[in-house]
Amino acid sequence: MHLADLRRPRTVRQTAPTGTTAAGRAAHRGRGIRRLATALPFILPSLVGVVLFLLIPVVIVLVLSFFQWNFLTSPHWVGFANYVAMTRYDHVFRALAVTAYYVLWNIPIQTVMALGLAILLNRNMPGLGFFRALYVLPFMSTPVAMAVVWSWMFNGQFGLINHLLSLVGIHGPDWLGSTHTALPVVAMVSNWQYAGYNMLFFLAGMQMIPRALYEAASIDGASAVRQFFRITLPLLNPTMLFVLVTDVIGSFQIFDTVYVMTQGGPASATTVINYQIYSTAFRSFDVGSAAAMSLTLFGVILVITFIQFRFFRNRTTYEVS
Amino acid sequence: MAATALTDAPEPGITRARRPGAARSLRYVVFYLCLTLIAVVFVGPYVLAFFGAFKPASDLYSTSPWALPHSFYTGNFTTILFSGGFLRYLGNTALVTAALTIGQVSFGVLAAYAFARLEFPGRDGLFSVYLATLMVPNVVTIVPLYTMMREFHLTNTYWAIFLPYTLGVPYTIFLMRQYFRSLPADVFAAARVDGASEWRILTRLVIPMGRPIIITSALIAFVFGWNNFLWPLIVTDTSSQQVLTVSIAALQSAFSNQWNLVLAASLVALVPLLVIFAVFQKQIVRSIQLSGVNR
Repeated sequence: MHLADLRRPRTVRQTAPTGTTAAGRAAHRGRGIRRLATALPFILPSLVGVVLFLLIPVVIVLVLSFFQWNFLTSPHWVGFANYVAMTRYDHVFRALAVTAYYVLWNIPIQTVMALGLAILLNRNMPGLGFFRALYVLPFMSTPVAMAVVWSWMFNGQFGLINHLLSLVGIHGPDWLGSTHTALPVVAMVSNWQYAGYNMLFFLAGMQMIPRALYEAASIDGASAVRQFFRITLPLLNPTMLFVLVTDVIGSFQIFDTVYVMTQGGPASATTVINYQIYSTAFRSFDVGSAAAMSLTLFGVILVITFIQFRFFRNRTTYEVS
Repeated sequence: MAATALTDAPEPGITRARRPGAARSLRYVVFYLCLTLIAVVFVGPYVLAFFGAFKPASDLYSTSPWALPHSFYTGNFTTILFSGGFLRYLGNTALVTAALTIGQVSFGVLAAYAFARLEFPGRDGLFSVYLATLMVPNVVTIVPLYTMMREFHLTNTYWAIFLPYTLGVPYTIFLMRQYFRSLPADVFAAARVDGASEWRILTRLVIPMGRPIIITSALIAFVFGWNNFLWPLIVTDTSSQQVLTVSIAALQSAFSNQWNLVLAASLVALVPLLVIFAVFQKQIVRSIQLSGVNR
């Protein structure tokens, strides 16, 4: 959404005859300064915030990635050693692979869930607003608190899930204690939390599709399924791009649920990149490596976002006004 | 009137006339049954946590998770609230969240107004810089922010917890700017002709007219502040400034198998958000859709 804005050509400002004469130029400059003086009190607090807490930190993290430092002793310049080390120690690759695996368990299921819910609720029947609210509810929960609740439900001994399974004679596994099931369970919690939230975007997108298209399609004898794949889905492309880009960026940064449910375990099976960065910086106090890793994550997110934009731009979109 | 509804959007091919009444009402029953089952999945964990938090430990392990508590046992809550400073952490979270919300909204309104309605040299370039920072993952700024806070001796203070998210938050500014730009321009022009100062225009026109987006931004800020975990976890290590989320995570590892206690603690964090959702439900749904449409 923001990229579109960045690409927009600058607005051409209507300024009074921008002087060809020296006096005209001086007057123009004077007006600019006056306007700046008017705007400054409005802009200043946010500018301080953006510079101090966003721009300077990015510069600092870049600098730190070339040093070896433990927060206490004086930093050592090590050049690209932190980046080189990353390629040698497999824990970084492992963390990136775990993250990718998590994203694969998270995004496709969550998106399909959201689409399905939107299809169900995209009609004009009484009481649907109530159900819509119930489906969005998990979005308003504290991830840390909800992770506690889900840990209890997936507990191997006392959990609801295994209790239910035992009723049909199945002996459930220790979900969060097994390297096979821990990561999918963590992803499932995110799917539960964000499916309804994403449903809202798809609902908004579906409501913008003109009814006439469906009427024409049914006159031509197209089935409901065919209409979904040929009309609804293609026309949802812009919504899909928005949902996927924001969700993938968020998914790559999963932390709270992992911290509470598994602490990265068992046997690093859920050590996603954010958890790895956290423990490198604040448990091993290896600041330089953590800085290099976080910039790598930034790069990965940028590349994947770029690919998504390319993928969706190359697909046909129909202009609907 | 409900009868016409089933033919809406997803199944436009079906015409009403061909459908006998009995089959139609069966379809209704099945449809609403499906919706209810799905709702159970989304709401169930809350209900179970609620039941669990009101059961003594012995009942929690001997009864089914979905069994109602025999009598609403409040011992878990009293144990949690009056031990180990939990009340203080609750107060810390409330304080920090309030400061963050007030700051983020007021400074955001100022900046959004300038970007939407004032003309000054470098405006569009500066706004692009603000937008570009939206791409930076949270974790990238965590390590440098921590070193900065240490440098200024601000670790373990309330300031450290809320300051980075208070002065200028590009996402909030972006949302509000889009809204302010959509307000009718001639109202502002008329006010300027009448000689109103920019400050007066902001307080008398923009803020009253921008109420919906201001409430939306306040809700977004509140939820963010209330739920924030990674940053407070890093920047506080003594218990007196700890916030609720950090203390719940700590309780979870301290009382690893006393689920009745951790469930009660979690519920304390969840209930305020539930109340807010119940009150502002329409506003929240609209604000989410707004953030998607403005792409």
